[in-house]
Amino acid sequence: MSFTCIIVEDLQVAADYLKRCCEKSGQLEVKGHFTGVADALAFLNTNVVDLIFLDVEMPGATGFDLLDQIAYSPKVILTTSKPEYAFDAFEYNVTDFLKKPFTYQRFLDALKKIPPAAPQVADNTVTESGLDHIFIKADGKLIRLNNDEILYIESMGDYVKFVTGEKKYITHNTIKNLEEKVSKQNFMKVHRSYIINIDKISNIRENGLFISGKEIPISKAHKQEVLKRLNII
Amino acid sequence: MGNETLPNQFIFSEKMDAEALYNLYAGDYLYVEEIFATTLEHFDGDFGSIQLAYENGNTEELRKAVHKIKPTFGYVGLTALQDECKQFENACAGAQSIQEISKTYIPIKNALLEAKDLIQKEYDRLKAFNASQL
Repeated sequence: MSFTCIIVEDLQVAADYLKRCCEKSGQLEVKGHFTGVADALAFLNTNVVDLIFLDVEMPGATGFDLLDQIAYSPKVILTTSKPEYAFDAFEYNVTDFLKKPFTYQRFLDALKKIPPAAPQVADNTVTESGLDHIFIKADGKLIRLNNDEILYIESMGDYVKFVTGEKKYITHNTIKNLEEKVSKQNFMKVHRSYIINIDKISNIRENGLFISGKEIPISKAHKQEVLKRLNII
Repeated sequence: MGNETLPNQFIFSEKMDAEALYNLYAGDYLYVEEIFATTLEHFDGDFGSIQLAYENGNTEELRKAVHKIKPTFGYVGLTALQDECKQFENACAGAQSIQEISKTYIPIKNALLEAKDLIQKEYDRLKAFNASQL
């Protein structure tokens, strides 16, 4: 069993101790350490991890704020020195609650509570492809996304991120697989890492296009096809 | 015989909770040295936040600053000080003004400064001990 994780902790000595526990366990690969919620969220917007070790009180925002904003549902182990947060932890359905400082054995006990089926992000993506919508499986449920809601789809290794105007959904799939499943009327692949909704393009430059302020690269191989699909007068 | 120590066993100051330290680090003194070094490296910054919040009369910032430094003491065997910080943090949370906690602030401030001295001394001893084991 091997999980990827991040540590969100503003106290350096606590983060160092936790990192060492992770390394010692041989079960966890630490992808990053963040001392605040904003940096952690920025990382989680473009990376998928199985587990977050999350402090609660940090400068600027709390660990619970992070859980409110994250687009998918990794497992979470809260690490705090304040047991009063246990009730909130229960409300957020976290896997375990470690009171700092905790022993290595207590750390291992927390890891045992993680189901072997992790990662806990969605395991399938498109289960139904229609003319004007698709269904994706995310956060343990099937979610309908109308084609006109989707701005673009971005590759994240073994996962993809569906970006809508309102929210981001991360699900287990690949751009290559999705290319065959999404409506070809609305969508096209413009880069090995991106499928875009053609109707959402606001402008195009030499090697990229813009959708809702985001610059998306166009690869040489796809450029002619992109220009062909646009209504250029 | 019961009080004999092994030649490669470090004896922490009696002011520190040696059992808690053993539970955390299982006698890995090189690692304990690292932990003490990290603690000292960040101590002044965290302590400075406490002083600043107090001088500004901001009880909520003071509570947050004490909350942040509090677990540090658990990692270096000063479990009683961690509990004292907890009580002071609670006092800050319930205070309407900085005056309400000014009497308890001085003792906690002094305790923190004493703790830093103690951590520094133990760190120096640990460093020498670890060097002698190589």
